[in-house]
Amino acid sequence: QPTRPVDKDKTETELTNNIKKATSPEETAPKQKHVRKCIVYTWDYHSSLSVWNGLRTQPILADEVQTFKALILVHKLLQEGHPVTLKEALAQTGWLETCGRTVGGDGAKGYGSLIRAYTSFLLAKLRFHRHHPEFNGLFEYEEYISLKNIDDPNEGYETISDLMALQDQIDSFQKLIFSHFRGANNNECRISALVPLVKESFGIYKFITSMLRAMHRRTGDAMDVLLPLRERYNTQHYNLRRFYYECSNLKYLTGLINVPKLGQEPPNLLDSGGDAPD
Amino acid sequence: MAQSLQHLSPTALRVAKNYTKGYTDTQTKVRDATSNDPWGPSGTQMNEIAQLTYNQSDFVEIMEMLDKRLNDKGKNWRHVFKALTVLDYCLHAGSENVVIYFKDNLYIIKTLKEFIYVDDQGKDVGHNVRQKAKDITNLLQDEERLRSERRSRGAMRDRMLGNLA
Repeated sequence: QPTRPVDKDKTETELTNNIKKATSPEETAPKQKHVRKCIVYTWDYHSSLSVWNGLRTQPILADEVQTFKALILVHKLLQEGHPVTLKEALAQTGWLETCGRTVGGDGAKGYGSLIRAYTSFLLAKLRFHRHHPEFNGLFEYEEYISLKNIDDPNEGYETISDLMALQDQIDSFQKLIFSHFRGANNNECRISALVPLVKESFGIYKFITSMLRAMHRRTGDAMDVLLPLRERYNTQHYNLRRFYYECSNLKYLTGLINVPKLGQEPPNLLDSGGDAPD
Repeated sequence: MAQSLQHLSPTALRVAKNYTKGYTDTQTKVRDATSNDPWGPSGTQMNEIAQLTYNQSDFVEIMEMLDKRLNDKGKNWRHVFKALTVLDYCLHAGSENVVIYFKDNLYIIKTLKEFIYVDDQGKDVGHNVRQKAKDITNLLQDEERLRSERRSRGAMRDRMLGNLA
């Protein structure tokens, strides 16, 4: 089925090993080469079932670091895997809920509340994608979707509210991660969870910006209707700006991805000539 | 045999492997262009490979070898980096099939954007791979730019060939 030269049996065997190594008990980032193999698998075979199967059957939940790394793996898989991954993930919410229940209190290494917050964020993300199947896992900017929803202002309004709710959840989760840093070093595992959050929050931000602009153009005189969204947009802009600023001080993170730099003030949504931010 | 292999230089070892593993001339060319040598690939090598992509059977062999190199492990980060370099060249100067193939398999490139490898000296040499993967992903997603860059490359080549003739 894939156009690449691949060997299905070999890949399946390797996949088990990739999952095991990506979720090893070492308190480090999940190794990207193993995460990558899982993502590539879903594209090669248009299925994520074997990955979920591996996650469910391997003894991951006995250890808080392993559980947290598994959630990072799941997040990246939802973002960058084949679109079918988002659909198939809906059948895995039970497993995600179990993840959230495994560690009592804060856990010996302090991952308890991070795991619970990550689980509820991923469940919220899945709910969003179920209601809005037109978005991909990273909210990558595609003009046609924003145009589609402004034809029906009510639907557009609701989509933006839902996107903003997700953005707020990312914001409180990232704050929780920062507040759980320990000392000057050994935060790599926690920091690595910020990588998909930076990407996702920026995807959402770009989308909201372009959709709100389009809706302002469309609504014309009735612009006051959009005032609540504008106010919330501005608040989120400042929160996001602070989030990226704090990320820009983390060497591990800036080496890996470009942390966006937002302007001091939120962009003018009424300026119809403006493009979405890069 | 194993003993004597250890004394071979990496280049000599590659020549031996090309021979013993029965790689074709085309595959050998790709392997040489994407080796662990700390230099290259040369323009001549890349141009030769790009021209070979216009032949269907060579095209398949080249894609197979590039796929292998692109999915190589961190220690062989030069394989990955040079395979991206060769690919970038082929997207500009090779056959349309290269574009189609890698649009189809974009995720192979996209997922290299977070490639990490820290060498023995503690240096993160994955940076080059990450940047190149980002550049190529952007190029493959920008149909207009890809078209115009392919056109201008073609025109330049025609001019140069014309001058030579």
